[in-house]
Amino acid sequence: MITLLRLIQSLSLLLLLIGTVTAEHTSNWAVLVSTSRFWFNYRHLANVLSLYRTVKRLGIPDSQIILMLPDDMACNPRNAFPGTVYSNADRAVDLYGDNIEVDYRGYEVTVENFIRLLTDRLDEDVPRSKRLGSDAGSNVLVYMTGHGGDQFLKFQDAEEIGAWDLAHAFGQMWEKKRYHELLFMIDTCQANTMYTHFYSPNIVATGSSELDQSSYSHHADNDVGVAVIDRWTYYVLEFLETQVTSANSKLNLGDLFDSYDESKIHSQPGVRWDLFPGGESEGRLRTVVDFFGNVQNVEVENANATEPGSLKEDLAEIARLVERWRKRDEEYSAILGNSSQHRRENEPSESVHLGSKMTEGPTRMAEDNSWGKRLVGLSVLGACTAIWVAGSILGRSA
Amino acid sequence: MALKSAIRNLRNKPDVLFIRLPNILSLLCIVVGVVWLLLLPLNDYSRHTYISENALLPGQVHAYFTGSEQNIFRGYKKELEVLLNEGRENDVSQDEVAVTPAAHNKLHSILQAAGLKVATQKYEYTSAGITHQGENIYGIIHAPRGDATEAIVLVAAWKTADDELNLKGVTLALTLARYFKRWSLWSKDIIFLFTPDSKTGTQAWIDAYHDLQPASVQPLPLKSGALQGALVIEFPFDHNFQSLHIVYDGVNGQLPNLDLFNTAVSIASGQMGMGTNLQEMWEHDDSYQSRLKTILRGMTKQGLGYATGAHSSFMPYHIDAITLQPKGHGWEDEMALGRTIESLCRSLNNLLEHLHQSFFFYLLMQSNRFVSIGTYLPSAMLIAGNFTIMAIALWMRTGFYSDPKTSTLISEPTSEKSSGSKAQCSTEVKIKGNPVAERLLAMPLTLVSGLHLLGLVPLWMFNTLSYQYFTTATYTFVVVDIVLPLLLAALLSNGLGLSAPIVPQQYLLIKSFALLLLGLSLSTLATLNFSLSFMIGLLCAPLSFITRLQGPSAPVRYAVSTLGLLLLNLLSPPIVLLGVCWYTGVSVETVMTQAAFGWDVWGMWTSVVVWCVWWPAWLIGCVLLGSSMF
Repeated sequence: MITLLRLIQSLSLLLLLIGTVTAEHTSNWAVLVSTSRFWFNYRHLANVLSLYRTVKRLGIPDSQIILMLPDDMACNPRNAFPGTVYSNADRAVDLYGDNIEVDYRGYEVTVENFIRLLTDRLDEDVPRSKRLGSDAGSNVLVYMTGHGGDQFLKFQDAEEIGAWDLAHAFGQMWEKKRYHELLFMIDTCQANTMYTHFYSPNIVATGSSELDQSSYSHHADNDVGVAVIDRWTYYVLEFLETQVTSANSKLNLGDLFDSYDESKIHSQPGVRWDLFPGGESEGRLRTVVDFFGNVQNVEVENANATEPGSLKEDLAEIARLVERWRKRDEEYSAILGNSSQHRRENEPSESVHLGSKMTEGPTRMAEDNSWGKRLVGLSVLGACTAIWVAGSILGRSA
Repeated sequence: MALKSAIRNLRNKPDVLFIRLPNILSLLCIVVGVVWLLLLPLNDYSRHTYISENALLPGQVHAYFTGSEQNIFRGYKKELEVLLNEGRENDVSQDEVAVTPAAHNKLHSILQAAGLKVATQKYEYTSAGITHQGENIYGIIHAPRGDATEAIVLVAAWKTADDELNLKGVTLALTLARYFKRWSLWSKDIIFLFTPDSKTGTQAWIDAYHDLQPASVQPLPLKSGALQGALVIEFPFDHNFQSLHIVYDGVNGQLPNLDLFNTAVSIASGQMGMGTNLQEMWEHDDSYQSRLKTILRGMTKQGLGYATGAHSSFMPYHIDAITLQPKGHGWEDEMALGRTIESLCRSLNNLLEHLHQSFFFYLLMQSNRFVSIGTYLPSAMLIAGNFTIMAIALWMRTGFYSDPKTSTLISEPTSEKSSGSKAQCSTEVKIKGNPVAERLLAMPLTLVSGLHLLGLVPLWMFNTLSYQYFTTATYTFVVVDIVLPLLLAALLSNGLGLSAPIVPQQYLLIKSFALLLLGLSLSTLATLNFSLSFMIGLLCAPLSFITRLQGPSAPVRYAVSTLGLLLLNLLSPPIVLLGVCWYTGVSVETVMTQAAFGWDVWGMWTSVVVWCVWWPAWLIGCVLLGSSMF
């Protein structure tokens, strides 16, 4: 009991400490979108599924990941390995695995649905799994991949999202307090053009290739018969898999972006810092797990206020309570110790506490005024009977 | 300004505008058209081939058709060989490459044992008095996880396009059937079709697949989805081969999508490391001459429009198909060909929709270089256009008298015909310079349309005669071609026996209509079968410049027109046919039998163009020239 209470006390102090130091984000959300279908675009789905696996590994739960897959490669008849998706020719990790939650699939992956998802303009009956439940304290990772061009990204060969559409969607998200900080990543041809129009603050954006540059696939699997992953995503993943090995990783976005090697990626990746408060110097300090992991911070408002209902007062109150409980606990153990010492000398100390708990019940019950309670019960019963009798008489006369 | 004034001056010189200028323009069109074609092999006008369809992904898969499959191949081959030899010993009268029924039945049992659904189809065609009959066997692998809405076809004919026994090709197809059956990654059904020969079998099968077969062909008991592509396997010799000859010409000059050809080239050379040939160009050094030769060979096949292999019959149904023929002595064995086909099937299997991205109209000059329709079409269009220019010029000329000589010649008949006052009036206007004449259309129109309809006679004749009469018929037709124009010319000058005698204006109108029809037909044809339009355009080119001679004295006219007629006769359809036969060493009978077969079985339109477009235009040209004698 004492240890438990101590734990509570120390936790509350720790919370106070963290609250004053960072107070930054309280939840992590990831929106992972592949925009192309068809067998020969296998790699785009593999890209997204690799990212999905990584963010899950680093702790974001499925409930906070929105996964959009326009096609089902695992069940494509052309797949030589039915039910699997691999992003590497070594086929070491089956990305489709046995625990995968696709939130938007097939023809649900449209520009409209994507923008509605971001801006939360969804009908009431849309299930939670299809909603981005982020708030002003959420760090959001948005990863997109597909076929694109200068300031557009194709969705399923049918429509495209423009750079302005995306910028306005993020703008609205900011206005509706739907993110705290946002990391936008995109792997497509001429990817860097997609984030040129962003205007809302707290966004770090990165893309795989510049204007008039193609993004290339990394390698093909000779048995699957298609390219399995894109170059930029491959090297981003390589960094995440080999360097960011746990959710405690202290590596920051600066490290991630410094790992870009143009000679390997075969295109010039870009990073946009200017929307971030403090610019590049500040943005570089954000850790990778700030976006890819799931940091469980508790939101604390007005940490230094002292007025009634404020945190300090609450904590002081909790401390007083803890002190009172401890005193009472000591008193009881003293009483029990006197009465049963001769009986339980050889038993371990935990059972002493157990015993004390068991005897605690009856003594307390005895303190209550049982006659008073009985009276109240009787009067209530009497009142009910009176109402019933009166009602039946009135009903008969009517 | 200079140009403007030149045009203004032209208006005052009708003889230049209507006689000299069109001649120059027409000649220019022909010359530019031919030069254009000759420029195509240059790097500046041709393009490197490329794969347009993203889904194909040629050569990206590893082909596993090796090792133990070879033993199965040998086993099947031995079995078939024994059956074939037994059959020949029993029946000595049989043709050396004919397939014995026992061997044919063996296919049935092997396919069934491999787990395919098997069915047969009997067919019979009669053309030029020859009966072609046979039985197709085919088996279907249903895509294990597909939806059976699409299929690809692998064809192995017992007789190759060159009438050799295709034993290894058939065996390879059987081995592949057994091998493919064990893969689970097919998104389309795969149909293995075994036909007795390369000419009739696939035609009967594909017609029946689309329920468009004639009564003599059985319907198919077993079908699959829409056909997306077809590959024909030939391997008619026992030694190893060096390179792959890809045959792609279809009936009526239709071509498969260039993507299919490119995929085959890319897989054969890129993945398998074997060379590729096309158009029987075994020694292709990528020089201008080689490229031009390849183009011209391709154009000849396209122009003649016959089926160059079992794949050709698929083309009219918009199914892209090619034949793969191993050629030369090298170290590539049947397994290499098998892997090439496996890889090609995997590429076709990747398709999400019918091949449509790349070109359907192209001229190949090398396995990796082509010109597309936009680049080569002007060539044939210019040649066809020369007739149209001439026709329009003649039409305008007939409504315009400026030449005093012509006016006097014409004034008499017109004044005879029309009322006196009108004749007076027209004479007065004539002197002023630009009178408008009335065109006498009835006779020219009747004659031109009549002669075009007359083309149906040889068309019908050459497609219904029995094959042994073809040589005689052709020579008879040569004589007819000499006599008929003179006869018609004589009749014409006497007004066809009608009351009104022919006037010179009508000769011009006849020529105008004939050329107009020719130009119209050829420019339309150029979009469908460039090569045929180009060839006929060239053969008809002199017709633009042939007209009725009037100027010189009678003996000169006689001499010139006789000489002209002789030269023109050298360009008549039957003489050209005989000349080509003599040059290539093929008998006339074979060619005409093939043409009749093409018309009856393949639905080949070449003879229609020859007899209903070329021959009438040529005949009218001869009639005009002949009329200068009368």
